[in-house]
Amino acid sequence: MIDFSRPIVLLAALALTALCFFAYRALNGRRATNVLAYTNIDFFVRATQPRSWPQIALVGAFTLAAALLWGALAGPHLTAALPAKDAIVIVCIDTSGSMSSTDVQPTRWDAARNATRAFIERLPSGTKVGVITFSSNANLIQAPTADRDAARAALDRVPAAGGATAIGDALTLASQELPASGHRAVVLMTDGVNNRGEDPLQAANALAARHVPIYTVGIGTNDSGMLIPGTAEPAQLDEDALRAIAQAAGGAYARVSDAEGLKTALAHLGSSTTFERRRIDASLPFALGGGVLLLATILTSLAAGRFP
Amino acid sequence: MKSGLRRALLLGRRRPRLSGAGSPTAIRGDGYEFVELREYVAGDDPRRIDWAATARAGALQTRVVLEDVALTLAAIVDHSESMRLGRRRALTIAAQEAIQTWYSAAETDDRCIRITGRGVYAPPGLRGPRSALVCSNVEGEEPFVLRDVLEAARCALPLGSALLVISDFFELTNDFNALLHRLPQRYDCTVLIARDPWFNDLPLRGFVTMQDAEKKAQCRVFVGAHERDRYLRAVREREGALRRRFENAGWRTGILREEDGEGSLLAAFGIPSTIA
Repeated sequence: MIDFSRPIVLLAALALTALCFFAYRALNGRRATNVLAYTNIDFFVRATQPRSWPQIALVGAFTLAAALLWGALAGPHLTAALPAKDAIVIVCIDTSGSMSSTDVQPTRWDAARNATRAFIERLPSGTKVGVITFSSNANLIQAPTADRDAARAALDRVPAAGGATAIGDALTLASQELPASGHRAVVLMTDGVNNRGEDPLQAANALAARHVPIYTVGIGTNDSGMLIPGTAEPAQLDEDALRAIAQAAGGAYARVSDAEGLKTALAHLGSSTTFERRRIDASLPFALGGGVLLLATILTSLAAGRFP
Repeated sequence: MKSGLRRALLLGRRRPRLSGAGSPTAIRGDGYEFVELREYVAGDDPRRIDWAATARAGALQTRVVLEDVALTLAAIVDHSESMRLGRRRALTIAAQEAIQTWYSAAETDDRCIRITGRGVYAPPGLRGPRSALVCSNVEGEEPFVLRDVLEAARCALPLGSALLVISDFFELTNDFNALLHRLPQRYDCTVLIARDPWFNDLPLRGFVTMQDAEKKAQCRVFVGAHERDRYLRAVREREGALRRRFENAGWRTGILREEDGEGSLLAAFGIPSTIA
């Protein structure tokens, strides 16, 4: 994606280029010395079968060089997804009782842990990652760190599934752990309905106010007919709530119903959460590229006998 | 040199024709030009025996003569724009030299005729060198249409005339064949094909804007090594093909070289040039 801070220059360039073109044509037409009289042009063309690509290439190169130089004056800016410097991602893992369900093999809890491990592996170096687990309340088991070994070791300390689901508390804790600025993101992995603590949407709005996106991942199935182990409650997924949380904080929602899907979703999130779209001033590359190309075109043209 | 050309033209009159015309008809004159004496050989005309020489030599001597009749020298020179080009000088200058050499062969009673784009011109009341001088200096007239001038020659020249045509022959299409074959049946035809100024080397590099000398159409082309090679090959093939075509039709052929018009004409008759 490219945009120009001074697009008016492009219009002026277009007009000036057209003017130069017609002036060149007019001057060229008057310079009779440029024209070589020949006995029979038809025979010459038949005999030599001249190649047309050199002229096309020169005109093309010259046009491109002019466009790049004019573009450089117009203040070009490229918007590209680049690895964020010092990005911080906090992964919130649901450890409520429902995570022991086996509709995702071997259990939702295991799948979430393994997927988080894979997610950490794929994060660019320099990106800090923190881990929060939550059930009836939220706990920070690993403060944001760039140390991958520490992050992986933290996953071994994820408590076993059990208790209620306090999504809002986890988001609030994540908000507290994140710095005031920089590229930050929260990944929320849960399978249940919030039934404890703060209102998750309110916590999401608070994060949104700080420009922290939340990527929510719903684990499990809604119609499996399975009960939460040790209870008579069916395992459910409040997709609307998770979607609303993601939407409120400018993130995205993904639902996975198997361990592989979870890994894939987190791998995808790895690039979404750690890359930021940045607007880069491209004036210098434009000017350099245009200048070099123009010089090469002029030298080639002189060597080839004429200006295009 | 001049006499050599004249002699060749006289011999040319007796050249066997490809078909039809048989031996040439003398237009005028009945003299014989003595060339040499040699010993009689069986088959010689007894009327040619020189009895005085026989008496002196003690053996039969035959007078060898060159049958001498008045020539009609006609010439056509392409004066179109394409002939005004050249590498160091215009091809028309070389053509003019060739024409002067051609007419210089005219002697006392010979007739000279010039055929231009405007028609057939024979200096009224003049013969021999004076007629040749006038015809040599006739300005080329535009437009030059090859078919028209050849047809004019076919209709207007007396039988047995010596005809010289100088052109680059870019107009020579396949439908000229009949005309090319018909002319040598009536005349001793010689053609000088103007050599392409870039026959030996195409001195163009890179982008070149070219203009057709006659049509004035322009085109911009890129000339690299491949183009130069192809051009030189094509020019040689064209020249060779033109020569073969004229020779097959019964013409005497030669190449008009830009640097030596006189030598070009003499070379067509196998006469060594003094310049060369």
